[in-house]
Amino acid sequence: MPSVLKGNFKTRKDVVKSDEEESLEDRFEREVLKKLGGSISFVSKKKVKWADEDKS
Amino acid sequence: MPDIPEKAGELAYKLLDIQGQMTWDRHGQMALDNARRNAAHFDRGESLAALRGAPLGEGDSAVVIAAGPSVKRKDPAGALRETNYRGTVIATESAISYSLRNGIIPHLAVTIDPHATRVVRWLGDPDLTEEKLKADDYFSRQDQDDAFASEMRANDEILELVNRHGKDINIALSTMASEALVNRVLDSGMNIFWWNPMLDDPDGDESVAAKLMQENGFPTINAGGNVGTASWMMADVLLEKKRVALTGIDFAYYDDTPYFNTQYYYEAVELVGEENLDALYVRIHNPFEDAWFYTDPAYLWYRECFLEMARDADCETFNCTEGGILFGDAVTVVPLREFLHQHAAG
Repeated sequence: MPSVLKGNFKTRKDVVKSDEEESLEDRFEREVLKKLGGSISFVSKKKVKWADEDKS
Repeated sequence: MPDIPEKAGELAYKLLDIQGQMTWDRHGQMALDNARRNAAHFDRGESLAALRGAPLGEGDSAVVIAAGPSVKRKDPAGALRETNYRGTVIATESAISYSLRNGIIPHLAVTIDPHATRVVRWLGDPDLTEEKLKADDYFSRQDQDDAFASEMRANDEILELVNRHGKDINIALSTMASEALVNRVLDSGMNIFWWNPMLDDPDGDESVAAKLMQENGFPTINAGGNVGTASWMMADVLLEKKRVALTGIDFAYYDDTPYFNTQYYYEAVELVGEENLDALYVRIHNPFEDAWFYTDPAYLWYRECFLEMARDADCETFNCTEGGILFGDAVTVVPLREFLHQHAAG
């Protein structure tokens, strides 16, 4: 989702993006998205597993 | 913050596909850490399996009370009292104080969220201070329960209420609950029944859920991302109820709610900027209420998860919230009083 974050001014020199390191904006986006998650996991097509049961 | 290309609601739908990962990133490690730490208290309760098929409440129906914004407008507890409903009442931890204030002691309370400091507030935080309130305005911003508006006073009242009734409440306590919440549950004298929220497919290779089950012996139950869905799941797979009514499960905000009063306001502004918030929220028309509501990415995900789970449920699901965005296949939308008149005896 890099389209979410864009600069709001023009730099005098071209900005060179490193391919090796995670960019600041990627890290920021990942940290913020983490805060938008839910309370706990959801597992598709599963309901319950009681102890000692194979499938449910 | 510049404009973004996504139009109203589009970003929420884009995030839907990665909500599972976002949730894991947010709480996964915390949940596991909590589960290991809470092992020291497992002998203070039983396995939730002890309640399997237990006759809590009369008959084969159940009503779930959650704490969505509809609760203070629709007052489901009032309807339960008026109709002398004798079936099973299950309350999310967030709805315990509302239920108790309105004379209803739930047969079962449910909690799942591993957050370190927030969840305990629903049961009263004995260590709450003005400084803590200043540091986190999560409750004061939200349109959930008026009692939280004056927070220190409300906290004292909830502490007293929960202390008074704790011994009468069975709580399905997640092994992943925070230390503060577990201590509060222990102090209040609630009857503890431990369970593991399903973190991944327990039948998968190297499953974390399976490993936890192996370690603690408690059942693992799919919570559907949130405590409201988990409570409904308890009615279905644990108590084996045939008809389950939902109240306070809005998964949405009333259309006149300012963005500021929503759960992820600060995070949303941080992500896209105040002027782009429309992209992150989805407006949905509820045809049963003929009213508009709006929702955020997490609530939208909860809705999608719920509708999928409802299709596979053994129980019949009735959404009696009278608001919000939870409608679709396998969910019958009906006013609560109508449900209660048909099933007042449970």
